[in-house]
Order: sequence, then structure tokens, then C-alpha cells
Amino acid sequence: MASQRKLYDSRLQAALLLLPTFVVLTAFLYYPGLATFRLSLYETLFLGQQTAWNGLGNFVALATSPAYRNSFVLSVVFAAVVVLGTLLVSLLIGYLLFDVGTRSSLYLVAAIWPYALPPAVAAILLSFLLHPNLGIVTHYLELVTPWTLDWFNDGPQALAVLAIIAVWKQLGYNIIFVVAALNNIPQTLTENARLDGVGRLRMLWRVYVPLISPTLLFLVVMNTIYAFFSTFPLVDLLTSGGPSGWTNLLIFKLYRDAFEFSNLGSASAQSVVLFVLVAVLMYVQIRVTDGYAQYGA
Amino acid sequence: MATQTDTSTTTTTETLRPTRWLPEDLWVHAALVGSIFLMAMPLLLAMIMSTQTTSEVYEVTNLGIGSQGLANYWTALTEYNFATYLFNSAAMSLVIVVGKVSLSLLAALALVYYELPYERGIFMFILLTLLLPVPVRIVPLFQLLADLGWTNTLLALTGPYIASATAVFLLRQHFMSIPASLVETARLDGVGPLRFLFRVLIPMSRGMIAGVCVITYIYAWNQFLWPLVAVTDKSSQVVQVGIRYIQGSAQAGLTRWGLIMAAAIIALLPPLLVLVALHRPLLKTFAIQQK
Repeated sequence: MASQRKLYDSRLQAALLLLPTFVVLTAFLYYPGLATFRLSLYETLFLGQQTAWNGLGNFVALATSPAYRNSFVLSVVFAAVVVLGTLLVSLLIGYLLFDVGTRSSLYLVAAIWPYALPPAVAAILLSFLLHPNLGIVTHYLELVTPWTLDWFNDGPQALAVLAIIAVWKQLGYNIIFVVAALNNIPQTLTENARLDGVGRLRMLWRVYVPLISPTLLFLVVMNTIYAFFSTFPLVDLLTSGGPSGWTNLLIFKLYRDAFEFSNLGSASAQSVVLFVLVAVLMYVQIRVTDGYAQYGA
Repeated sequence: MATQTDTSTTTTTETLRPTRWLPEDLWVHAALVGSIFLMAMPLLLAMIMSTQTTSEVYEVTNLGIGSQGLANYWTALTEYNFATYLFNSAAMSLVIVVGKVSLSLLAALALVYYELPYERGIFMFILLTLLLPVPVRIVPLFQLLADLGWTNTLLALTGPYIASATAVFLLRQHFMSIPASLVETARLDGVGPLRFLFRVLIPMSRGMIAGVCVITYIYAWNQFLWPLVAVTDKSSQVVQVGIRYIQGSAQAGLTRWGLIMAAAIIALLPPLLVLVALHRPLLKTFAIQQK
């Protein structure tokens, strides 16, 4: 089959067609990617003016640094909350959309638009609406609940506010995939359960969630990468890592160490840690999808 | 094809669904409208506040349309450089979308329609770059572009983004789904590769190309960290980082939140409108990505 598509055999032409992509990937992805590993083995002195061989010193320093360990634990907790929160809300909304039928694309667009929402905009909007003194949401929240919003000074609250923003922004992407997966389920698999008159929520947990679990796993991986890598604007615009380090997520600490404190060696070592994280997640994703593909076939 | 399956699915559901579910349907619609409203509420509130003066904003529960009208938008565009930022964002996104789609079309053409040695290896070389998001290479990338003298230029904003594994992957998948009989016709006619690309592949891939353009555009427009690092000169900055600047400069005295909300909505509108207009190709493209 595949060989039928092979129209041309000029290797020179093929090389020319691939060349632009190869040049860009080599210069701006592979070269700096590998250079990160090299830099992570050097110590930066005099604010980036000089470097000295340091072996694994940067990694040892990170492993023993209370500030880095704090960032690491925070980021893991933050990612767990964001991943689970996003999945849960998107499952419910996606299921409702599926239930009313996607013929109404008005509903669909009204539910997936946060996909287009810039993280910086999401951050600045909610930072105002949840502002401890001026936020209208804060005002009504404090009226109907016993809570007092004080996330300028309260660490856990600040982390929670960032998580809410991160979930809100990520809903669109997740709903797109949940609805697509639900629509792909063959009717024959769910007809019996429907006729038995099983309640809607029970149907969701018992029938649909297991059937779309490959998609859910894909979303867990994508959301985890998102929570670790794409939440920089949230921290930068809202908390700058505070109060007292409570929101100093790994990505924010990396940025600061590199571009505010010119500690390039340590920042590169932090990049290597993030690389390991992406690599593990991608590996899990590929292994599990392959498993399902084989199982399904 | 997708629409066909959709309609057949819904009709079977409706015939099978017993009538006693009908009142519950109302409940489902209500829950859906409720959650959609909750999701959109921050946006609606921000739109209202963006028309208010600072003192109106400070009356926390004032939800009336403010006396500023669109004046805050005008102030953001003219006095706070947002016209410039918008222009820079548009230029950056345009270069990234056109560059990425063109480069990926050429690469996918070579991968699918050329007899290639090490084809799998070449494809893996492209795919493995998924392991290298910007934060993994940000320090050397910054140094490289500084050494090239590209700091504060459009080249620094776009160069690292104009090739991508995702776009090559999607176009390759799509090319492989084009019937081989068409390729046979092209072979018999002795059509050259560029003619084949422009006369056959691109016309047959319009939906997919539109989808890749939307994904790339939204991704490019929403970038924040890299422009913040690569551009230090305000006149070359993009609109997302512009939000950071206006947040800083509107702080003197009473924070002008109405103005900040207007600026945020300016930064949001372009990708939002593109999504609403082009959600169909976007959804189809995502459907392929997942497989």
C-alpha cells in the first residue's frame, strides 16, 4: 500500500524539501536542547560572566536546596489539582454536551472557547474578579460563605487561585477531546445500559468513563505538561512566587534563576529536570496507547 | 463523512430513548446552560468593568455599563501602546503560521511521496522534538539568539517556532489518507512535485491546513514567556506581555482596573474570533491528532 504513494525517487529533491524543517529543528531545538545538558554541568560565576566545570554539582545543589524542594513539591501538588479538576469538570460538561447531541454547535462553541483564551488574559481577569478588596466575586463569595479571601498574604489560597485560573483556561481543550471521544463510542456498546434505565451519572461513571479511558489518559498527560510548563504567566502576573514561596512553581523559579539572577548553570540543571519529566510522561503515553491499540485490534 | 455519522447516531438515540426521559432533558439543558454561563461569567464581568471609570470600579457591586463607554479601549490602544503590541502580535503570528505550514507541507510531501532511505529515522528525528518545549532549552536558546544579534527582532520571536513536529505529523497523516488512485493518475500524467503539491495536495487538504493554521495561530498569539525573554524593547513587544506592562504602569495611585480589563479583552478578541469562525476545521484536526 505505502509504496503505491511513492511518486518520486529523487533523493536530492527530497533532501531539499526536508532541509528547511531540519535547519530550524537543528538550530533552535536540538542545538539548544543539547546545550542545556552541557550548561547544566557548569557553575555560573560573577552573574554569568564566567563559567567553571562543576560536574553534577548543580544537581546536587538542587536536590539539597530547600527552596527547590519546596518548588518541586508545590508544582506536583498544583499539577495534581489542576489535572484532576480539569478532567472532572470537562467530563461533566462534555457529557452534558454529548447528551443533548452535538448538532447544536452553538453549545459546543460556547463550551470550548477557553481553548483560545490566552493564559495571561485568564490570569489578569481572575486576579481582578477575585481581588481581596475589589473583586466582585470575592464580595459575593464572602457574603454567602464563611471564608475570607486574602490570597495576597495567604499561601495556600494563592496556590488555589492559580489552580482555578489554570483549570478555567484548560477546560476548552479538554472538552473538545471528551466530546469527540464520547461521540466515537459505537451505539451498540451503550444501548443495553440505556434501555435498562440506568441513571445518567451512573452511566457516565460505569459505562462511558471506562470506554473513553484512552482519551482520558491522553488528557492526563497533556494537562500535566500544561500544569508544569504553561502556567508561567499566572505566577508572573499574580503572585511572583509569593507569599513566602507558596506559588514559586518550578517554571517560575527557572525563569528567575536564569533571567533575574543570571544563574545559568543552575537554571539549565532545572531545565534538565523538566526534560526528564516530559520524557517520562511521553513514554507513558506511548506505551499505554500502544497497549490499547493492540488490545482494540 | 463525519456529519453523516453524527445524524445517524442522533436519530437512533432519539428513537431508542423512552419518553419518560423528556423532563430530564430539560434538566440537562439547564445544567449545560448553567455551566456555560459560569465559564463565560469572568469574561462578561470584565466586559462590563472595562467600560467603567476607576471610581465606578471601586464600587465593587456596581454592575452597570460604565460612563467610559469604549474610552478605556481607546486609552489602552493609544496611550499604552496597545496598537503597537497588537501589530507586533499580528506580525509574529502571521510569520509563524505561514512559515510553519509551508515548511511542514514541504516536509510531509517528502515523507509521504518520496522514496526515502531511513524514512522512519527521519520521521523520528522530527517527532522527538516534542520532548523539547521552550522551557527545556530556554537558556541556550536565549544566548544563541543574542549571539546572532536577533534580540528584540521579529526573527527572535518567530524563528524558534516555524518548524514543528505536530504540524508535520498532522499533514503526513492527512496525505496518507488521500486515495492512492489519485497518486496513480498523477504518476501517469508525469506531474512534477511542486505542481502535485499545489494542484492536488493543497486543494485536497484545505480543511486540514485550516485546522493546523488555527491551532498554530492560537498557540503563537498566546505566547508569553518567550516574548518576555526575547524582547526587552517595548516597541517590539507583543500584546500578551503588554498586559504585564499595563498592569505595572496602571498601579500608580488607584489601580485603573477598567483600563486593564479593556487591555485584556483587546488581547483576547483576535484568537477568540478566529476560534468561533473556524471551529469546524479545528475540531476535525483535533480528531485526527488523537488517533
